[in-house]
Amino acid sequence: MSFLAPLFLALSTLAVPIVILYMLKLRRRETEVSSTMLWRMVLRDREANAPWQRLRRNLLLLLQLLLLALLVVALARPFIPVPVVASGQVTVLLDASASMNATDVQPSRFEAAQAVARQLANDLTQEGLMTIILVGPQPRVLASATNDKLELRNAINAAQPTIGSANWETAFALAAGANGSVANSTTVLISDGGLPEKLPALTGEVRYVPVGSQPANLGISALSLRPASGGPQLFASVTNYGDANARTILTLNLDGELFNAQQLEVPAGKTSNVIVQAYEGTVLAEAVLSPPVGAANTDHLATDDKAWAVYNPPQTGRALFISRDGNIFIEQLLAALPGLQPFRQSVDAQLPTDPFDLYVYDGVISNTLPSKELLLVNPPPNPLFTVGDVFTPTITGTITLVDDPLLSFVDFSNVHVLRAREVQTPAWARTLISVDGKPLVFVGTLDRRRIAVFTFDLRDSDLPLQIAYPILVSNLITWLTPSTVISESGETVHPGDTVTIRPEVGQQAVGIQAPDGQFFVAPASEAGVLFSDTGQLGIYGVGTASVQEGGKFAGFFAVNLFDPLESRIQPAESLTIGRAQVSPAVRGQVGQREFWPYVAAAALAILIVEWWVYHRGSSVPGASGWRGFFQRKKVGA
Amino acid sequence: MFLDESTLRKLDQLSLVASRVRAGQMKGERRSTKRGTSLEFADYRDYVQGDDLRRVDWNVYARLERPFIKLFEEEEDLSVHVLIDASRSMNWPDESTNGDNATAKERNKFQYALHLAAAIGHIALAAGDRLTMIAFSGDDARPVRFGPVRGRGNTFRLIKFLTELKPSGTTDLNGALRDYAMASSRAGLGFLLTDLFSPAGYQPGLNALQSQGYEVNLLHLLAPEEVDPPLAGDLRLIDSETGDPQDVSIDGPLRDLYKRRVQGWRDEIETHCLKRGVNYVPVTTSTKWDEVVLYQMRRMGLVK
Repeated sequence: MSFLAPLFLALSTLAVPIVILYMLKLRRRETEVSSTMLWRMVLRDREANAPWQRLRRNLLLLLQLLLLALLVVALARPFIPVPVVASGQVTVLLDASASMNATDVQPSRFEAAQAVARQLANDLTQEGLMTIILVGPQPRVLASATNDKLELRNAINAAQPTIGSANWETAFALAAGANGSVANSTTVLISDGGLPEKLPALTGEVRYVPVGSQPANLGISALSLRPASGGPQLFASVTNYGDANARTILTLNLDGELFNAQQLEVPAGKTSNVIVQAYEGTVLAEAVLSPPVGAANTDHLATDDKAWAVYNPPQTGRALFISRDGNIFIEQLLAALPGLQPFRQSVDAQLPTDPFDLYVYDGVISNTLPSKELLLVNPPPNPLFTVGDVFTPTITGTITLVDDPLLSFVDFSNVHVLRAREVQTPAWARTLISVDGKPLVFVGTLDRRRIAVFTFDLRDSDLPLQIAYPILVSNLITWLTPSTVISESGETVHPGDTVTIRPEVGQQAVGIQAPDGQFFVAPASEAGVLFSDTGQLGIYGVGTASVQEGGKFAGFFAVNLFDPLESRIQPAESLTIGRAQVSPAVRGQVGQREFWPYVAAAALAILIVEWWVYHRGSSVPGASGWRGFFQRKKVGA
Repeated sequence: MFLDESTLRKLDQLSLVASRVRAGQMKGERRSTKRGTSLEFADYRDYVQGDDLRRVDWNVYARLERPFIKLFEEEEDLSVHVLIDASRSMNWPDESTNGDNATAKERNKFQYALHLAAAIGHIALAAGDRLTMIAFSGDDARPVRFGPVRGRGNTFRLIKFLTELKPSGTTDLNGALRDYAMASSRAGLGFLLTDLFSPAGYQPGLNALQSQGYEVNLLHLLAPEEVDPPLAGDLRLIDSETGDPQDVSIDGPLRDLYKRRVQGWRDEIETHCLKRGVNYVPVTTSTKWDEVVLYQMRRMGLVK
């Protein structure tokens, strides 16, 4: 046993004043009695019968000295050397991914990992520094390079597991930053594995403390509502990630009502698929796995036992084509594009009051532009941007395409343009295609409406004859008429992912209701609303800011785990980091375990004993407890 | 006033009992060792020459044909001695050490002893016995004495005497008793009222009394505060009689030990008294004094 703060031992000299005070303290109260004869006899008897009585009189003093000794020892922070996993500068990566919620280790893998981390913090040497990083979808530094064991313990205790996938790349970057250039740094991974391949190597030593014991887990690996001929079709996959065949009951709820429940027998490592026809008009689907009555526990992770899906039916957008003489190239293409219903109108006619999803102008422009998506072809001068004279691109002038998703699969190498309008790309737009530095096609968002512009007449180029034409227009139309308010709908949203929400034109703010009822309001902006509070699994409703007061949601999106790395809860036997194979760590180093709290607890116990001895010694017979205490005061008064 | 009317009437019924019959000096109401002229038949004895023929029991002579003299008892008085310990320790609990005056006065051993002395004295006087009352106090002061007197008429003088007594000083109980035994001309029934707080002991004194022919009744008075002391903590006890200090740290076990010691001390005294033929009456002053006379002493056969 050694001491971390041996200077405090000097406080033991306080024993001297205690002894002196004790000697001075015995100023006895003088009390007259009829005769001291009997008392003398009693004292004589007692000393004759029990020689140790003299010692007993000093019991209080002994207790006080013992109390002082314990307090001094506790202050000096005694410790014993213990074998530990890591010492020196330690960075702990505490896995908080969804698989750490598994309950094969009671109460859960995450709490077991917390216990390991606490142990590491406890056994930290005096010179040691510890950084704790919680590895969830967004890794966080809980405690940074500190030796304060209380702070470390508090940080560990406050940590919570997430329901998402662990972002190990970011966590490793944080760990590398924490390790810095310290040569003898050690990184301890407390995890059940599930790390992606090709992780960068870490400086210093890497140790791995595995948690978890069982691989048994059943999870829903896919759930979706797809359009089909007779209405939406529900597709669900249940995967058995364990190493033994398992039975489970798959319950399907549609719009909150029980629709179907069936028992599935899923062989080890296999997936069972279920396809059922849902009602027409179904919007939300929920799938729940539950164990059959009496079955052995083959499911240690509850997080992946529920999944949700949102049905987004194919939408038909209405497009209004406005031109002076018509344009066969545009009209035919609008008619051919799926999900778009074209209408035609002369430029001279009044715009219909019923708004369309898209307005296509060919060589003309109306006096008042509708506040909806616009596709302008060969635009005359207009309030949106400045239009100059017609120019002829040089023969040698090459057409330049920027790298943009809207131009995917678009090949302009054989396209020629005879003449185009000289237009300066406005500040709200970006040029997609240009020639001689002058834009041919540009797109942008103005006043929350999307606008795409061709600066040339299609008939003045061979573009409509090229394969690039339908692809480019289809891309632009898809961009101009997004199917729903939510960009990512239809795809799987994982916990922690960012969802882009496109409010309707004129909408000032977006309201989003999380599965637990929490309501978020975000102001609408040009590019749409980026929503990243997707930490819960379930259905999120999206609507206006006032939807909370009983309004109707404009759309939904579902957040699901759907991550085989998390659902496969078999603890990894070893990890591959960089090129190194990391095996489970052994306690090969020496740490310092402090035990001053026990000493302090003993001191408290001694204090209680001392109090008891003091009061027992001076209570009046026949009166016990507080009554005796007060009576004693009265007699003494 | 020590004795009220009703108590006096009760006491009038009583008389002191001496277990041994002894010779008196004057005609009284008690049997005497002397044979005399009373009507109480005592014994027969052989006729010897010179006896008064009038006292021959002729009936016996007729039956046995031998002359016997019929003896009658003589009735004489009894000498009663009441010895009061008037040392400072008897003045306990006093008003100065106990806030509750009425209780202190009731339990004060000296006052209690005076009550008992008055009662015993009255019984003796009422029975026509010869009463001597004496109080020992002070180191060198002579004992205060009352009597010997005889006759019920002296009750009020007795009470006046008792009222004037004040406890003071220390008492060497042995010396005082021995001196009294030596000086006394006529032994008899002795009542000793004391707390026995006498470091030198009491046995030699009692022996001296007994060797002079006294029949001794020891009324041992202790205040309840002495039997079960309400004391605690680190104290310096001052002896009220000698002023000697005694340091003591009183805790629960020590107090228990003290109580056991007091009981043991009383038992020792009782055993000693039993051996020596002394009547021992342990009295705690929380008992009413008239109960001691009317019940306790009567039960023990000291009065009838």
